[in-house]
Amino acid sequence: MTAVPLVSMTSISKAFGSSLALRDVSFELLPGTVHALMGENGAGKSTLMKILAGVVRPDAGTILRNGVPVQMNSPREALDAGVSTVFQELSLLPNLTIAENMFLGREPLTPSGRIDNAAMARATRETLKQLDLDLDPGRLVGGLTIAERQFVEIARGITANADVVILDEPTAALNAADVEILNRHIRALKSQGKAIVYISHRMEEIFRLCDVVSVLKDGRNVATVPVASVSPQELIAMMVGRDIAELFPPRGDGAKSAVALSLDGIRLTADSPPVRLDVHQGEIVALAGLEGQGQRELIRSIIGQYQPVAGTVEVKGRRIALPIAPASGVRRMQALGVGFVPEDRKDEGLFLDLSVAHNIAIGLNSRHSALSIARRYRDIIQDAIKSMAIKVSRPSAPVGSLSGGNQQKALLGRYLALGSDILLVEEPTRGVDIGAKAEMYKLLRDFANRGGAVLVLSRETIELIGLCDRLYVVHGRSIVAEMPAAGASEHAILEAALQR
Amino acid sequence: MSALRHPVLRAATRIPPSYVVFIVLLGALWVLKPAMMNPNILGTFARQVVPLGIVVLGQLLVISSRSIDLSAGGVILLVNYLISSGLLGGIDPLAVIGICLLIGLAVGSVNGFLVGKRRASAVIVTLAVSIVLIGLVEYLANGKPPGDVPAFFRNLYNARPAGVPAPLIFWVGLAIAMSLVLSRSVFGRFVASIGSNPVSAHFSGVPVERTVVAAHIIAGFMSALAGLVQTASIAVGSVRFGPELVMNSIAATILGGVIFGRGAGVWGPFVGVLCFALLFVVMTSLGIQEPGKLVVQGCIILLAAVFYGVRTKVN
Repeated sequence: MTAVPLVSMTSISKAFGSSLALRDVSFELLPGTVHALMGENGAGKSTLMKILAGVVRPDAGTILRNGVPVQMNSPREALDAGVSTVFQELSLLPNLTIAENMFLGREPLTPSGRIDNAAMARATRETLKQLDLDLDPGRLVGGLTIAERQFVEIARGITANADVVILDEPTAALNAADVEILNRHIRALKSQGKAIVYISHRMEEIFRLCDVVSVLKDGRNVATVPVASVSPQELIAMMVGRDIAELFPPRGDGAKSAVALSLDGIRLTADSPPVRLDVHQGEIVALAGLEGQGQRELIRSIIGQYQPVAGTVEVKGRRIALPIAPASGVRRMQALGVGFVPEDRKDEGLFLDLSVAHNIAIGLNSRHSALSIARRYRDIIQDAIKSMAIKVSRPSAPVGSLSGGNQQKALLGRYLALGSDILLVEEPTRGVDIGAKAEMYKLLRDFANRGGAVLVLSRETIELIGLCDRLYVVHGRSIVAEMPAAGASEHAILEAALQR
Repeated sequence: MSALRHPVLRAATRIPPSYVVFIVLLGALWVLKPAMMNPNILGTFARQVVPLGIVVLGQLLVISSRSIDLSAGGVILLVNYLISSGLLGGIDPLAVIGICLLIGLAVGSVNGFLVGKRRASAVIVTLAVSIVLIGLVEYLANGKPPGDVPAFFRNLYNARPAGVPAPLIFWVGLAIAMSLVLSRSVFGRFVASIGSNPVSAHFSGVPVERTVVAAHIIAGFMSALAGLVQTASIAVGSVRFGPELVMNSIAATILGGVIFGRGAGVWGPFVGVLCFALLFVVMTSLGIQEPGKLVVQGCIILLAAVFYGVRTKVN
């Protein structure tokens, strides 16, 4: 028996500027299946799903819906065609009620042409009940918890009578009990003959829930296989494209040296327990754990971008009380040799329209008074470009013209040129290809081998395990475990996080 | 087709449009009234736009720092009143100049503090400050007609060392200084960084707040200088200045290729100001009166706004 696919995407290609996000990708959804879509960040999963959801238009390729060619020109058209999406970034409007959000753009009308609020509320209540949610449809979405919002989004997809539901990392913000409820509903949708696309990084969920898995890498199809026929290790190897052990440089020798950076008694909120951690010279230390548990707040407290309730930071023996003023935190820490490499290189790190030279030298220039003459730092810039193997025609080329990996290197180069001996790195390899990842790991390890200390956080636990010497597991805005990275596993980290 | 058009379009948007407009206007004048192509006449017209040119030097700095300054009108009015009212009658003219410049610095500091430190909307803050200053002048003047400007100022304005009008020399000198500051100093690097991306600037260690405050203070200072030149040029006091001066300063800046958070070039806006001077020459020689000039000026501002939209999309 071969059912007609609900959706069949063929030879989809899409480029953003000069970077190809998707190359000749095909994807097919059969009724009554939960279809996992896997791949590293930047592999093209989100782009592919945005095309299906009408958010992005493909440069080439065809989409068949129940065997009929369709064009999804807008999210509205996709929804009308029965494709409902719950995106990673929540798309509900906080200043509207649950019911208003559910029926946004397709409000039922009374005979006199006014919005039928009663009908909206009734339908909303029924749909929420199907999801075991006892929420008042008149509540403002802004007052809901993240998990509740997630369910409202899913409920919205159901009320739209979609038979294709795309869930993009639906469990990132959910606790174990909520995940269980969600799974039940996914199974219910499946039994109704709908197709669910399930994007997640969590192996366990994939193996518990999904029937088929498609793997993308660097914007290309790698494989589509039944979940029952593969092992987690095989899946990872498909995603990474080679044995991941090869990616990472050897760890440090583990000999204890002086403490470079320590956090003491940091309480992120009034009711969170105090956090204490140390980073030694020559060591790469990670803040691991589920996403959004306070890793980012912790690292940003050090540079004044998050205001914790209490705590101190000690940099090479100098104690600084927290919170630090937001306006001066970065400069103060740079003066002490602490470089902060922000997560989002495009929005927070680089000056895309300015030259590579400017991007690297700006840190050095910032050390001087505004009234002094700006130096060109030609030698330092040449050095950085050469030693980090940044591929650029000339230092005056705008940094935005470089590939993601080279941009990331230029960003790191700015803080290395500053002579930092402590680096705080968020997402060291976000959206860069596998070769550039390996290079970034090597650069960070070289930095540590020269005596530098690195505190790093990443969404990709595999990366943290491979790159680091030691891991702190962060959960619920506090550190719940500490372990050596050698021998650690995703499973062990998750277990440590969820034990409490 | 679109692949071919794209880079061409891009290259075209990179040249400050003021250069193109300038050449077109110059050509128009050459065809229509070749007799007007005379350094003396052109110099006199260029002298008229010097106050605008000086305001633009401040405006391009704040716009490059992702802010805007609409308070120049109020500052110019206040400076004009102080000089023409006789309020500072017995004081040495140099001290009067000093007082006026201090006022410019003070207004710039208030703008800078509110915009940079308090994160208030630059449009609202600087417009409100301008309204306060205009009200203050009207209160001080109390319906009395303004008096004359001391001869000292008029003589400075009319001086022509080596045949070149003194205000023109002053303006070019200031523009060179501003150009050097932007291209050579650390401050210039800070402004370029903030213009490109304020968040990245912050994470690079650029003192963003301080730089924005300083840009506003310099803009206030430029407004006061422009007020001095303007006062000397009209030789009498006035309780009304064309509000179009502030709008013209924004238009010239945008025509000069500096759009919110991009550019930091001095010469594009400089030529943009010269465009206004040429425009006045062309229109005067065609016998167009004041109302007609206002209509054309407004159209240029609209053109600049449209161009700003196109350019933002292209980038």
